[in-house]
Amino acid sequence: MTPVSAPDEVLEPTTTEDVRPDLPWLVVVWNDPINLMSYVTYVFQKLFGFSKEKAHKLMLDVHLKGRAVVSSGPRERAEADVTRLHEHGLWATMERRLR
Amino acid sequence: MLRRRFRPAPGGGCEVRLPKQERELLKSLPRELHSAIVAIGEASGDELVEIPQSLRRLFPPAYSTDDEAERRYTDLTRNDLLLHHSEALSVLSSSAGTTYLSEEEVGRWMTALNDLRLVLGTVLDVTDVEDDLDVTSSQHLLYYYLGGLEEELVGVLSGFLPEPVAGADDLIPEDPWGEPLGGLRWDGTPLPRQPPPGEHAPDDRRE
Repeated sequence: MTPVSAPDEVLEPTTTEDVRPDLPWLVVVWNDPINLMSYVTYVFQKLFGFSKEKAHKLMLDVHLKGRAVVSSGPRERAEADVTRLHEHGLWATMERRLR
Repeated sequence: MLRRRFRPAPGGGCEVRLPKQERELLKSLPRELHSAIVAIGEASGDELVEIPQSLRRLFPPAYSTDDEAERRYTDLTRNDLLLHHSEALSVLSSSAGTTYLSEEEVGRWMTALNDLRLVLGTVLDVTDVEDDLDVTSSQHLLYYYLGGLEEELVGVLSGFLPEPVAGADDLIPEDPWGEPLGGLRWDGTPLPRQPPPGEHAPDDRRE
């Protein structure tokens, strides 16, 4: 049996990342003056399978209220949704649910 | 009314009916942005390259308040996003002369047109105000021309959408942050409160 030597140094965890339980994240799309309203509606339908009416309402929320929550879930799922929205040129961020 | 440039084709995809000058424009226009995006990819090594201000809209942040999480996210996603944009622009430029686009190519054209508008709109500092079209500016006209083409392609692609996913509409959570007066800007900062119609704006008028 090969003797295993002890490591010279012990790696201490150095992360400062938020390690609270993975509460659902919210994916938020923010208003911008460039993307066409029809385009935003289409992207919501395509990416999330919403009905046209729902996608249209969310687009109006983005346009008139400045933002809309379009999906939620654990961090990985929210990041994947944000990535797909970014590929479509939408201004999407992910925010922690506060309560 | 302007003649439609795109028409859904029997059996999928769409027919393209663009005048010669427009085809030449769509062939040459994406090249500069394509080169700029490829250059960012080539310059990216272990360190992420700073995105030029005019291209910021193509690379939005995922985490607006957590720099470390944002760096990790960008590390993971930057290359794919660069490729996604550059491929779309390349497809638009190389197929600008065609009379038929497959459904996938229609999607690439839409992405490329949207990318071009995002950059042009950023450079022109476009606002939500509808009447700021400057008909003497060729760049403004180009911006609205690209928007017209994109609008048509959205119409074509909307016809290809599958049925909505059952229950998807009910999965959206409530917005937990309430509704600040006047809403928010795209970057999450509050908009100044809008005065009711007929009232003058408060003392934030700029000279």
